[in-house]
Amino acid sequence: MSTNLQPSELSANAVAMAPSLAQSSLSDVVAGARAMAPWLLGIVPFGLVIGVSAARADVPSLAGWSAAPLIFGGSAQVAVINLLDSGTAPVVVIVAALAINLRLVLYSATMAPRWRDMPRWWRALAAYLLIDPSVAIGVDGYQRHDDIRRGHRFYLGGAGLLWIVWLAAVGLGATAGVALPAALHLEFVIPLFLAGEVAARLKGRPERYAVAAAVLVAVLALPVPFQLAPLLAMGAGIAAGFKVDRAGAAP
Amino acid sequence: MTAWLVILAVGIGSYLFRISMLVLTRRAAVPDWLQRSTRFAVPTAFAALAATALAHQISTTTAGAGPGIIAPCAALVAAVVAVRRTGSSYAALLVGMPTLWMASALWR
Repeated sequence: MSTNLQPSELSANAVAMAPSLAQSSLSDVVAGARAMAPWLLGIVPFGLVIGVSAARADVPSLAGWSAAPLIFGGSAQVAVINLLDSGTAPVVVIVAALAINLRLVLYSATMAPRWRDMPRWWRALAAYLLIDPSVAIGVDGYQRHDDIRRGHRFYLGGAGLLWIVWLAAVGLGATAGVALPAALHLEFVIPLFLAGEVAARLKGRPERYAVAAAVLVAVLALPVPFQLAPLLAMGAGIAAGFKVDRAGAAP
Repeated sequence: MTAWLVILAVGIGSYLFRISMLVLTRRAAVPDWLQRSTRFAVPTAFAALAATALAHQISTTTAGAGPGIIAPCAALVAAVVAVRRTGSSYAALLVGMPTLWMASALWR
């Protein structure tokens, strides 16, 4: 791995030649894309399922697909398509989808300190790609590299690949995926994938309590209208994590 | 037409969320509580989305339209155990989906 390079080698590399610099920046982009690969295993079937549901719903096919580039968030896309299909009032659909996507403010806050010194066009583009998997990959990249510019390239590599694959998967689902047998129960791919991701992230006690509280509230709040349950669950989980974290930090 | 407008409105709103803290932090620092809460944002969001999706699937399938209750629960347990054992996110689907198929074939 290039992270094993000694500082002297790094500076030697920097003064060497432009091609080697370009190569190293490309390798960061590729490394980010590669880190995104395991996520795609869960994301591609999700995109296919959304495409299929958009094609079957009482929504113009192109409009259903255009939610992928316009909203770029699977959970909100599912909510929009299902609610539109069931004839829900437009305002309710918008509020429900935005409630699901309110977490993007937190993701925006996660990246804000790291992106502070980047040009405006770069931040406008990078922000457009903010979503659960790209934030996870991005944070991972910034923790992995001491040089923040390498983290930027790592993020763009992962998020860029995610964007391309997501649009392709939803498009494929909308056109060809209608033939997938219902017996495969592809609707369980995403919950299982997310559950696995959570299980892999339970590193500390605050995280465990946060997740336990989120699951409890998510189930209890299911009857709450407007699909607010995930949002309420997040709030409860974060509050629980705070509380345990603070209690643990006290002597 | 309505579908287009709804999707466009959600898209614009989502983008405003995405840039919100990038724009605001030009003037003010991110509040401490918000900064610290991001540590828990991804795990709690995923747990909440997974729990609501699974609970929704189970509640709609008890009417007989899907694989029932046992199969999703078995698949969930298998997926979580597999991820904890192997430390790989792949394991959730590679173990969970076959478990779901087998369990739903056994208990119909």
